[in-house]
Amino acid sequence: MPVQVKNTKKRKQNEEEDALPGPFSKAVDMEMLSDEEGPDGEESDGQEVDEFPEIDAESDEEDSEYEGFEDDEDEEEEDEDDDEESESDSDKEDPLHVFPKAKTVISDITGQPKRVFPEIEPEYDSDSSTEDAPNRVGNIPMHWYDDMPHVGYDMEGKRVLRPARGDELDKFLETVEDPSAWTSAFDKNTQSDKPLTTEELDLIRRLYAGENPDGSYDPYEPMTEWFTGKGKEEVMPLSAAPEPKRRWVPSKWEKKKVMKIVRAIRQGRILPSKPKSTAQPQFYSIWAEPSSSHPPPLPAPKPPLPTNSESYNPPEEYLLSDAEQKQWEETDPEDRDRDFIPQKYSSLRLVPGYDRFIKERFNRQLDLYMAPRVQRVKLNIDPESLIPKLPSPSSLKPFPTYRSLRFQHSTLARCVAISPDGAWVVSGDENGIVSLWELSVGKEIKKWKFEGKVGALEWCPRTDVSFFVVGIEETLHFIIPPYLAPAVHQLTQTLLAPTTLPPALDTSSPIKWTTPSSSTWTDDTPLLSIHLPSGSGLPTQITWHRRGDYMATVSSGNQGGVWIHQLSRRYSQAPFKKVRGKVQLVLFHPMKPHFFVATQQYVRIYNLSEQKLLKTLTPGIKWISSLDVHPSGDHLIVGGYDRKLCWFDLELSDKPYKVLRYHSRAIRSLHFHPTYPLFASSSDDGVIQIFHARVYSDLMTDPLIVPLKVLRGHEITQGLGVLQVRWCSKHPWLASSGADGTVNVWCN
Amino acid sequence: MGRLRQKGKAGAAKAYITRSQATKKLQCSLADFRRLCILKGIFPREPNNKKKANKGSSAPTSFYYAKDIAYLAHEPVLKKLREHKAFAKKLSRALGRGEWSSAKSLEENKPVYKLDHVIKERYPTFIDALRDIDDALCMIFLFASLPSNPRLPPSLIENCSRLAAEWQLYIMHSRSLRKAFLSIKGVYYQAEVMDQTITWLVPYQFTQNIPSDVDVRVMLTFLELYQTLLGFVFFKLYTDAGLVYPPPLDLKKDEGAAGVGAFTLQDASSSTAAAPTKSKKVVEVEGRQISGKDVYQTIKSLASTTPDANGAPDDTTMDSEPTSREAEEEFILQPSKSDPQPAAPLTTLKSLETLPQTVNTSLFAPYTFFLSRETSRPMFEFLVRSFGGRIGWSATSGKGSPFDESDESITHVIIDRPIVESSNETLEERERRSRRKCVQPQWVVDCINAGKILLEDHYAQGKTLPPHLSPFGEYEGAYDPTALALGEKDDMSVDGDSASEDEDEDAVMDEPESAEAAVLKVVAAAATDSDADLRAAELAAEAAGVDPALFEKEVKKSRKKVKSDTNEDAEKDMNKMMMSNKQKKLYEKMKYSQNKRNQERANLEAKREQIQKQARKKTKIARD
Repeated sequence: MPVQVKNTKKRKQNEEEDALPGPFSKAVDMEMLSDEEGPDGEESDGQEVDEFPEIDAESDEEDSEYEGFEDDEDEEEEDEDDDEESESDSDKEDPLHVFPKAKTVISDITGQPKRVFPEIEPEYDSDSSTEDAPNRVGNIPMHWYDDMPHVGYDMEGKRVLRPARGDELDKFLETVEDPSAWTSAFDKNTQSDKPLTTEELDLIRRLYAGENPDGSYDPYEPMTEWFTGKGKEEVMPLSAAPEPKRRWVPSKWEKKKVMKIVRAIRQGRILPSKPKSTAQPQFYSIWAEPSSSHPPPLPAPKPPLPTNSESYNPPEEYLLSDAEQKQWEETDPEDRDRDFIPQKYSSLRLVPGYDRFIKERFNRQLDLYMAPRVQRVKLNIDPESLIPKLPSPSSLKPFPTYRSLRFQHSTLARCVAISPDGAWVVSGDENGIVSLWELSVGKEIKKWKFEGKVGALEWCPRTDVSFFVVGIEETLHFIIPPYLAPAVHQLTQTLLAPTTLPPALDTSSPIKWTTPSSSTWTDDTPLLSIHLPSGSGLPTQITWHRRGDYMATVSSGNQGGVWIHQLSRRYSQAPFKKVRGKVQLVLFHPMKPHFFVATQQYVRIYNLSEQKLLKTLTPGIKWISSLDVHPSGDHLIVGGYDRKLCWFDLELSDKPYKVLRYHSRAIRSLHFHPTYPLFASSSDDGVIQIFHARVYSDLMTDPLIVPLKVLRGHEITQGLGVLQVRWCSKHPWLASSGADGTVNVWCN
Repeated sequence: MGRLRQKGKAGAAKAYITRSQATKKLQCSLADFRRLCILKGIFPREPNNKKKANKGSSAPTSFYYAKDIAYLAHEPVLKKLREHKAFAKKLSRALGRGEWSSAKSLEENKPVYKLDHVIKERYPTFIDALRDIDDALCMIFLFASLPSNPRLPPSLIENCSRLAAEWQLYIMHSRSLRKAFLSIKGVYYQAEVMDQTITWLVPYQFTQNIPSDVDVRVMLTFLELYQTLLGFVFFKLYTDAGLVYPPPLDLKKDEGAAGVGAFTLQDASSSTAAAPTKSKKVVEVEGRQISGKDVYQTIKSLASTTPDANGAPDDTTMDSEPTSREAEEEFILQPSKSDPQPAAPLTTLKSLETLPQTVNTSLFAPYTFFLSRETSRPMFEFLVRSFGGRIGWSATSGKGSPFDESDESITHVIIDRPIVESSNETLEERERRSRRKCVQPQWVVDCINAGKILLEDHYAQGKTLPPHLSPFGEYEGAYDPTALALGEKDDMSVDGDSASEDEDEDAVMDEPESAEAAVLKVVAAAATDSDADLRAAELAAEAAGVDPALFEKEVKKSRKKVKSDTNEDAEKDMNKMMMSNKQKKLYEKMKYSQNKRNQERANLEAKREQIQKQARKKTKIARD
């Protein structure tokens, strides 16, 4: 058994280790034997065997294998025995250096270097074998003694009593006091804590670390060559079969294949080494054969040709001044109109190399392959030809050209109206003052003062009577101007305040018609007032039906809306129960019983007699500000706060026939002249634009719209310009009220 | 009900493909894709609606036609590029393993693509190709002048310079140069070949450095295409002109920096018709014909069965293919001392007859030039020989000069240095100097552009040159610097006599009046609009030295004129209201560019006025 152990250990040794002389090694061997029975032996024999039986078994098996081989070796080398024994010596030399170190000397016998260990003095304490083991119970399970007061027997056969053991607290205190308590383990044999030796601790550490528990095991040991290398070849064949023919006869098929290639090479079918292709490309007449029908790609545009400024010696005016040069340097290279600074050299020899040459070539190439190319038709026309040819304004006279009168209000003059006979003008301002003045001379005849702003003013279009309506906060006042012919005055009075009131149709109507008693009638007070319901706000628009019996008003308040008032029956009604959107403006059709209602974005046309919606016009304006219908009734113009003016041909389409955008600010007011082919638009930019608008009776000819004149004269105050324009029905004259408080009359 | 239309299945979404989609589809790298695009001439397109083309995204992307990319998928060059990728991998593996022999064999079988089919596709007809060689020529001339480096192998540079020389030879042979322009960027040449106007730019002879922000790979890819294109174009041009392509190169001359002179033009018919063994051999060495005896010896040696055994020792450096021409026998120069004006070396009767005579292409035929050594020889050799002149140069400018400085036939010396008084001039030299006319280089170019011989006096050595103007013209209505100075210009031509002093003076005296009036008019016209403008105009008038009373009068006049104009203008402005939005925008655009041009022109005119005024002041002071 010892020999076998030595053999296993030998495998783990380095080959360089040397043989020891025989006699000496034997002595060491003796020592070893005694060693194993010592204190070390206790662990190696007792515990190691217990704990690692499989390792031992394994080594046993290996030993049995190697035995035979070692015999061979012994035959070959006589010293091998000694060799191994000496090596077994060194196996006790573990990494912990329990034993003294060995010396390497040259052996006298073999002449090989060998290791010699110092002699071990057999002193008293060198060997623990003489010490008595306190308990000689042997290797039995100690739990057999669990019920006994003793734990075994000593050498004399007396009982070894179980030593007294403290309780858990004592144990804990012990562990606290004793620093080596954590490295000690309970020995059942002696029933006491026994400190673990360094070897045991090392073993535990190795197990814990997952290493090989054997400290002397070298995992990187060089390979021992048993069957390879010189002198170790197998001499005997593994099988007795005779060597096949193919091992020594060259292959026929291979030869056939090679010969095929050889023949091909001889015939020139295969070129063994292709002649190196010439670097120079061979050119030939590539355009000799006809090309495919595929159309060629468009040629790239050529770069522009150089101009005078690129000359090396340009005329002096091409050179940049300092300011221009600075500006050139400050602009980005992409934005420069030329990519060089003109230079002038007195002679060709002084011209330096152009440092951006390569960069420019490169940029051109980038353009060629990276820039998207778009084919554009370049218009080679005179820009003036784009302007439409229209008849000259001078041929379209008369139209107002100059300001003949100016009437001043103290504040913003919101509205203006001209009497149907064209003699009188009323204008109202923000302070509630309504002035009546003569159109031809501008002399103020009368002034009325109302509470609150004047929202709207309108003359009754009837010619047999004469009065006008003023829209004040939630009220409409009917006023008869002074200096009327007595017949007219009489008729007007009877119309507004008849002696016998028509029967009230609907008493629940929120609108009240009131006439003061005939004793209090003066020129200063209105003869008739219509009280709109509270919360309806300022009436922003008053519009009359052409017969002068019906009147429609639009109020601005949140509850406000559209009412149609009938004068003869003194009755007001709301034509719409529900209107989508807030109504901006309303208009009566001049011929038909139609009613235009402009909400914020749409113009709807209702038939009043049939009470249904006829048409919805979409001007495409964000917010409609003004609206007027042509006297013929077939054309409508719509102005918006977004500066657009739309002309609708009502016969034609729901979409505008023409959209004009010429004012720089919001359009405020539009008005068609009742008799002349004119219309005017006013805007917040303080400008009035007069247009000639001729409408043809045949349906095929488009209406002719010619801008005639821009009238300037109103000043812009608080961002507001000309608020309302009204034509005089008899003449091509125009009255306009502005935010600057002036009311102007423009004449031809 | 028709079939439901699915989004992204038709229209712009299908017709366009983004660049990354294209590379993915072609399964090639971006660099390869770029190379393919350059070679095939595929460029990005701008879809009408980007969102429709890009799945609703408006991110900046470059789009290609999906069909263009589909065609690319079948491109043989793409196949070769893929093969090259595999080859590069194999080679690097072989090198990494140290398998030198397999690396060598791999290198020998390297995949190389040819661009012949690309040329044919892109340019189905020869005219198409000829029309598009402007950029190619610019690149070739640029690369011919670049120094070689690891990225630019010397062979490439050499090939470029060969192509450049071949082009110049053809232009000189066919006398098709029309215009030249000395700019600060280089020299622009314009030639007319087969009714196609070809303009190219040649840099001045300085070493160019490739800037770091230039991608050389892109330039080299273009160059690859251009070399092939020019090769085919030149082949066609040469063969159509009855010449052999490529023209043989005289290595010895080339080493001596003979430039264009190192190549010899060969007649194709004679070289093919005559058998090399029986033909007489004409050998040119260093620009001279070797003597008859040598020729005889050579014939003798050629008659023997071994063609490479050479009789004349000089022949060793010649091309292995003997240059043989029988028909050109009559063109060979007989260097005789008695004849003072030998014919130009390249001008043959045949070539002269074939020339279209609309342009005076033999402008310099009666003259013989000599280049002073500070002038650029390649440039002036090309210019002068293109117009039939004879030209010689000193040995420092390279070999191959047909005559030296002492030649009696020299009529003009192109010189570009200031006059230096040299006291130690021999009598002979002075006499020679008096016989010849020394002109500055600009004279040659101006003569070419004018189409006639200009008076040399204005261009004499040391004189301040008249401005050099672009012969290509400017856009219509641009500022014309010659407009006022026309009177002076006429004097320069040969037919007019030399301008007399007083005539010149008259012109000077006349001009200030007219100039001042012009300033006045311009300034007064500017003053009509507002007070601020008036003030500015007043200042300008004062700066121009206009009498204030005169100014006032002028302003009044112009204001009156403006008033009558305003009515028309207002009418026009009102009519503009009736324009549709589209028309209005177009009108504004056109007006903008028109105004810009007018402004530019006015600026130049004002500058000239100022310059002339200063010049007058100076002359006045000098006179006083």
